[in-house]
Amino acid sequence: MVCMLGALCWMFAGCGGTQHGQELFDLHCADCHSEANPDLKKQPPKLEGLFRSKTLPSGAPATDQQLRKTIVEGLGTMPAFDRRLSENDVNDLIQYLHTLK
Amino acid sequence: MKRSALAGVVTLFVLTAGCQSKTKQYSLRGQVLAKNEAANELTVKHEDIPGFMPAMTMPYKVRNSAAVHEVQPGDLIAADLITANQGKDYWLEDIRILDESGRKTAKPAVTRHALQVGESVPDLQLVNQDGKHFSLSDFKGKAVLVTFIYTRCPMPAFCPRLSSQFSKIHEALAKTPGDYEKTHLLTISFDPKYDTPSVLRKYGLAYLDNHAEGFSHWDFASADPAEMRKIADAFGLEYFEEDSQISHSMDIVLIAPGGIVARYWATEWTTAELEEALRQAAKAAPSHTSTGRLGVKR
Repeated sequence: MVCMLGALCWMFAGCGGTQHGQELFDLHCADCHSEANPDLKKQPPKLEGLFRSKTLPSGAPATDQQLRKTIVEGLGTMPAFDRRLSENDVNDLIQYLHTLK
Repeated sequence: MKRSALAGVVTLFVLTAGCQSKTKQYSLRGQVLAKNEAANELTVKHEDIPGFMPAMTMPYKVRNSAAVHEVQPGDLIAADLITANQGKDYWLEDIRILDESGRKTAKPAVTRHALQVGESVPDLQLVNQDGKHFSLSDFKGKAVLVTFIYTRCPMPAFCPRLSSQFSKIHEALAKTPGDYEKTHLLTISFDPKYDTPSVLRKYGLAYLDNHAEGFSHWDFASADPAEMRKIADAFGLEYFEEDSQISHSMDIVLIAPGGIVARYWATEWTTAELEEALRQAAKAAPSHTSTGRLGVKR
């Protein structure tokens, strides 16, 4: 039922960016950030509670601006999402990451 | 509504169950662009597969060879995409043809692996992470393992996996100097517009643990777009850009010290297998090989 509501919500785009952010997260981020993958050279950090800390896993300040830079430009083995996600996509994604406790 | 709600609950249940078992199941829907009956493979241009990958075109193994025979390029299909081993293994099951009307307009199946094993590598021009120009044929005297990526590839089972595997091979070879100096790794980006030498340098350093001296054994290169097409055709690599992402096949090529194609891997391999094949191929290299790449203009 939650699923259904989510889908309805998504269809009418009534739930704002967080819902869209979650869709984007599931599609582009979750594969690496949600489960350990022994194939990868470095294990990407889990992103729950990202904004609880004053710093991002990289040690940079936990600000929207810094996160945007990481998403757009990539960092270390994390690929850049430049030209793949629009500015609005990135905003929605950041909004969703704020909700991850 | 009751029925739909129930369906929702069942879906949730299936998804939850899927998370705990070793295989996961997704629904794939798309158009078949090519098929390879010998390899039981269909190349499908598919829609988003939520939770697994965005829309793209790529080859899939099919478990049922009769289905591969029946399906024709141009067909719209629906299928179950099964993944195992954290997305490393994936294949299609239960293929349903939704629409056959596209058959006449479909492009003929692409012939892969233009260069046959045993043929010489042509003199194709590349530019590496330092902006240095070199040719594929410059590596004569060394066994070279080549793969193809683009740095923005976000899917862990694809380019990041290839680069991580090459990184492990690089580290393993560094422990045996004899093999290290008779081998070379070459990662070629088919996205020259984005993957400039400086982008490739940054990417390479991440996989070399910031040890820039590793570039003398592992080059990250690209070529101008026209030359890149020739390189792709030479090795049967397929790639095309659509909707700001690049769909591509995964290919690894082993070039023997004499500059001839020794072996291809297209769908299944392990890091250990690649490393062993590279070491074996290097045995044919002259033992007086000096350090650094042979013949590369510095």
